[in-house]
Amino acid sequence: MIELTNVSKTYPNGARALVDVNLKIGKGEFVFLVGPSGAGKSTLIKLFYRDETPTRGQVQINGKNLVRMKEREVPYLRRSIGVVFQDFKLLPNKTVFENVAFALEVIGVSKNEVKTRTHATLELVGLANKENAFPHELSGGEQQRVCVARAVINNPALLVADEPTGNLDPETAWEIMDLLFSINKRGTTVIMGTHARAIVDKMQKRVIAIENGRVARDEEIGGYGYDT
Amino acid sequence: MTLNSIRYILRETAHSMKRNPWLSIASVLTVTVSLVILGFSVLFLANASNMAKSFESQLEVATFLKSNTTPEQVKVIQSQIQGMPGVASVTVVTKAQALIDFGKTMGGTQSSLVTDLGGTNPFPDKLTVKASDPQKVKALADELSVLPGVEKVRYGQGYVDKLLTFTRWLRWIGLTVVGAFAIASIVLISINVKMNVFSRRREIQIMKLVGASNSFVRWPFLIEGLTLGFIGGALASGIVGTGYNWLSMYIQTTLTFLPVVQNTDLFRQIAAGLVLAGMAMGAIGSGLSLQKFLRS
Ligand SMILES: Nc1ncnc2c1ncn2[C@@H]1O[C@H](COP(=O)(O)OP(=O)(O)O)[C@@H](O)[C@H]1O
Ligand SMILES: [Mg+2]
Repeated sequence: MIELTNVSKTYPNGARALVDVNLKIGKGEFVFLVGPSGAGKSTLIKLFYRDETPTRGQVQINGKNLVRMKEREVPYLRRSIGVVFQDFKLLPNKTVFENVAFALEVIGVSKNEVKTRTHATLELVGLANKENAFPHELSGGEQQRVCVARAVINNPALLVADEPTGNLDPETAWEIMDLLFSINKRGTTVIMGTHARAIVDKMQKRVIAIENGRVARDEEIGGYGYDT
Repeated sequence: MTLNSIRYILRETAHSMKRNPWLSIASVLTVTVSLVILGFSVLFLANASNMAKSFESQLEVATFLKSNTTPEQVKVIQSQIQGMPGVASVTVVTKAQALIDFGKTMGGTQSSLVTDLGGTNPFPDKLTVKASDPQKVKALADELSVLPGVEKVRYGQGYVDKLLTFTRWLRWIGLTVVGAFAIASIVLISINVKMNVFSRRREIQIMKLVGASNSFVRWPFLIEGLTLGFIGGALASGIVGTGYNWLSMYIQTTLTFLPVVQNTDLFRQIAAGLVLAGMAMGAIGSGLSLQKFLRS
């Protein structure tokens, strides 16, 4: 489903974030990206939803080449990829319902369909009773659920999450992990960058370790693997 | 683009203009000012060229004869000129008639006037020659000036030349002023749109993230610019229309000899032109700021 060949990324300021990365990720996989801060995890994740393009090498998702892709094709790629952030990126002046519905409204989905799908998705993430709350009235875990709901409402084939539990306490973090896991079980490929050792060790999923922009380790069933 | 998208975009446009009402008003007003100047310049130029034309069409060549010409010779010259091609009419004011006319304006009798003037009639015989083609007045005047018995000719070419030079200058000054205001309008609209893009940058970021098309993201801002320009253009049309009406009424009652352009077609064209120019400024203004801000 995803294939990176000889991917390098050097930022305009000279920072070498990725160096000659080769990766294959299959449909339906759950993959952890681990590694020290500054290793290049976020940069790698940004390549998947074409927030960044590599300076060298190719990125393919579902047969589409993201490097050669035209600017006007990018929106359609993004409709098939959900993105979850550490800081949730919710719109503060919109309610929970409006924040999630937003993802459908701006791609021209009809009003009725927006309504039914938003209700269903909020049900899925366990926020059916908070539809009319504003983000500041929610706990961190609940805000992250809204972010996940917005990411999956379009039934994406791929969900990428950059440290989705980074701002949450361990217990809430596990609730989010359960949510991501259930989404993965429905067939969505999930790629998650994280520092959460306990979670990685317990989940027994594929682990790709990045160090200094290179793939240092890639284990089918791995652990976090660092001593710190 | 679906109906839902259009509804969404219009709602966003309205929100966006309410967010910075003062800047919106300032943008509209600069558009208005620049277009009012443009509108009045165009109308002024239309009037100037109309005036030049009507001066030209009234052009007559005053042909003065040598002082020793006898009344018989005057008749001969008159019929000679009458027979020339390009001549519409010839009227004669003899030296005697000129003296009587002068006497009437001075209020004395003819004989006393001649005595006062030293015993001679100083007026020459004058033939007023009207050309059939206003374009050929100068050529006709040149021809007349070399006829035997003709002392000198005089015609209004000088005034027309001056008027045309003046309108040429005015055109340049008008263009410069309008250009400066147009640039100011475009800059203000682009600042306006830029500020709205900036205050909505989070929303835009998420829109792009969830796959809103570039045009979907851009339309509200483009429509905002177009709307500001449209309002400015419409206001300018109103002001120019009312102002010109009022002004031409004033001129027609006080300076009755001045021909004032009253051409409904021209007015419609100017009104439509001003509104379109306003919208063009709006589109350019928002286009400028969107180019910089909305690259993905
Ligand atoms: N937008 C950027 N511009 C310049 N350098 C960047 C940018 N983003 C990341 N970097 C640099 O690239 C390297 C990798 O960063 P990042 O991908 O954020 O790592 P991680 O997510 O693993 O902490 C770091 O050296 C970082 O400073
Ligand atoms: Mg990071």
